[in-house]
Amino acid sequence: MAQPVVEIRHVSKYFAKVIANKDVSFTVHQGEVVALLGENGAGKSTIMKILYGLYGADEGEIRIRGEAVHIKSPKDAMSRGVAMIQQHFSLVPTHTVTENIILGNVHGRIAIKEYEEKVKAIAESYGFDVPVDAKVGDLAVGVQQKVEILKALYLNASILIMDEPTAVLTPQESEHLMGFIREFAAKGNCVIFITHKMKEVMEAADRIVIMRSGVVVGDVRKEDTDEAELARLMIGQELTAPVRTQAPERSEAPAVLELKGVSALGPEKTPVLQQVSFSVHAGEIFGIAGVSGNGQDEVCEVICGSRPVTEGEVVYRGEDITRQTIRQRIDGGIGYVPVDRYRDGMIMDMTLAENILLKSSYGGRWTSRGFISQKRLNDYTSQIIRDHQVKATGPSDLARSLSGGNQQKVVLAREIDVGQHLLIFNQPTRGLDMGAVDRIHHTILQEREKGKAVLLVSTELSEIFEMCDRIAIMYKGRIMGIYRNGELNTQEIGLMMAGVAAGKEGQ
Amino acid sequence: MTNILSRAIMMSTPLLLGSIAEVYAERTGMMVTAIEGIFLLGAWGGFVGTYITGSLAAGILLAIVCGTLMAALYGFITIHMKQQQIVTGTAINILAGGFCSFFQRVLFGIPTTPLQIDVLEPISIPLLSSIPVLGPMFFQQNLLTYFAYLVIPVSYFVLFKTSLGLTIRSTGENPEAVDVAGLNVNRIRFLTVLVAGAMGGLAGSFYTLGYLGMFTTGIIGGRGWIAFAICFLGNWNPKGAVVGTFVFGLAEAVAIYIQSMSNINIFPNELVIALPYILTIVLTVARSNFNVPAKLGVPYSKEN
Repeated sequence: MAQPVVEIRHVSKYFAKVIANKDVSFTVHQGEVVALLGENGAGKSTIMKILYGLYGADEGEIRIRGEAVHIKSPKDAMSRGVAMIQQHFSLVPTHTVTENIILGNVHGRIAIKEYEEKVKAIAESYGFDVPVDAKVGDLAVGVQQKVEILKALYLNASILIMDEPTAVLTPQESEHLMGFIREFAAKGNCVIFITHKMKEVMEAADRIVIMRSGVVVGDVRKEDTDEAELARLMIGQELTAPVRTQAPERSEAPAVLELKGVSALGPEKTPVLQQVSFSVHAGEIFGIAGVSGNGQDEVCEVICGSRPVTEGEVVYRGEDITRQTIRQRIDGGIGYVPVDRYRDGMIMDMTLAENILLKSSYGGRWTSRGFISQKRLNDYTSQIIRDHQVKATGPSDLARSLSGGNQQKVVLAREIDVGQHLLIFNQPTRGLDMGAVDRIHHTILQEREKGKAVLLVSTELSEIFEMCDRIAIMYKGRIMGIYRNGELNTQEIGLMMAGVAAGKEGQ
Repeated sequence: MTNILSRAIMMSTPLLLGSIAEVYAERTGMMVTAIEGIFLLGAWGGFVGTYITGSLAAGILLAIVCGTLMAALYGFITIHMKQQQIVTGTAINILAGGFCSFFQRVLFGIPTTPLQIDVLEPISIPLLSSIPVLGPMFFQQNLLTYFAYLVIPVSYFVLFKTSLGLTIRSTGENPEAVDVAGLNVNRIRFLTVLVAGAMGGLAGSFYTLGYLGMFTTGIIGGRGWIAFAICFLGNWNPKGAVVGTFVFGLAEAVAIYIQSMSNINIFPNELVIALPYILTIVLTVARSNFNVPAKLGVPYSKEN
């Protein structure tokens, strides 16, 4: 066999107390597409950041084209043809496409026109339609990713690393990207892409390296494996998918929540929601699909009261709550699991018990004679830890000390308690490992069985299809259509996520 | 009239240097909140250097060194030790005040009459200075003012037309992008803060070397903060800084002019002195549509 382009040999990396990578070894050959598959925290990004020089390895060695290399910084990596596209794009939104691409790779005076021509030529050679003089912040996420790819191409990268490249793309955009990856590899380059999506792996990869808890647990050719085996390797155990029975026609059940022509403004007075109307009935899970940033967060915010409505009304259990305060809505029984746990869901430097108390600190539930009853609160929190299988030593653990999945379970428990009639979940499983996802899905389904109305926002189509009774698709602050689960296939939803209106109107 | 305008331009000099220094630093995400202390140390260094050696050049040099050292301290604490920028700056400003009054007394004791030095002489540029109105306004100024003229186009060119400028601007907007491009974010920030410190020290020295000819601990009197505010008002752009600076220079020149005219008593003296400061507040509030560097004031560290 020919000499591998990249050889990672026995690399280990430790962060403070945690082992991020332990004895990781694998190789990548010329023209090969390797998928690095694993759950969050499996160490996939870490090993790639080592290859790209963002982190230093504590043990082991890396060989590129047979030569042992010591990569100290991304500059070193680039000079050897390694380029990496981060999961969160590292672009400067206020600068133009060309400025972003040449950053760090020009000297002295910049003749911007010349560089624009150069970038344009590269873009055209791969059939990318990218406006070279536009501000990156004005471009759609899919185009921004192309800018990132152009950055790599501009440097003549021959080893391209992509961290979760499809996380922010519509299904069609993902397909294009996979096409590009194949084309790029066919030219004699190699691609390593990090993912946790089995479907992509089977589509684009030649070989799959599976990681779990910092170690490589599998290294297989695509032909020799299937999704079931990959999942087992990834998680280390079999998972039972939650069984969801399609809800019966719920239109006769009372509508718990109704949005009637709701519009809202974002920063700088741009409309973020335009004439959004839908209803969620008791005992149903209503899903909102879409590429993130198309108004889903804002829909949740107008319902829970943290964003003012400029037009239209929000009706909850027959009552207009458009002008109610957040607290009135909490008291009315609306639970809300926000998308960003760190920012809106918890206070990381407070204990679990204190985080449980957060939304009901007023009222008499946790106090006696004006003082917090630690015992009552701790007992209740301990019960949550047991019931929801939170991995924590007790109610006085700091929220920060828990893993993401366990933090989310605590938030979920609190909101289920608050939300006696309506639960809003904004991407409740984002960034969690499959075990936690499974657990959270079971919980959501349980709440539905209790007759609560559930609004579930997700950017993962698989989650939408698995969980929801009805599905709305959002694009640029509008509802593109509302359908019963099963009426649409991935292709059709994908088109609507990209703003292409469907021929038929559901509901 | 020409006299007031000429004075306005002269008084603009330190504000211009200071605000452009601030523009550089803030474009990399560093608020140099120690600017007031850097000004003060520059003024003191300029005075001490000149008084002891008798050479203005030595004074200017010492002012630059003092400003740079102060900035290095600030940069070390905020960048490498990742401390909060506003708190650090405030502490350094207090330190600068104490440092100057202490060493002033150590070096010179308590003199009965204020110590004086000769200030920088205005230099008339041949031909240009004989243009009516504009000549005396722009071309009968001292060396520092001419240097400030030069700083404007050079800064604009560096920031917007060179790779260095692109790097500086990117660092304030998205340091991750700079890191991933293989550049060292913290080094860029530290070096830029040093440059800002050097310029700030030079700016401060104007008050002793170019204007008063003596040193008091209250000599800066918040003008460092005004330079800080001008950077905001000028939208982090040297061009904007020029406009902002001139407005304040004018306000200051008018204030001095009114004070010197003993027969004008319409305004209370205190109000006149407060004029530039009031203007700062009014303009800051009135100014909308800011273009703040996205990561201004945020320390950079790689995850984990």
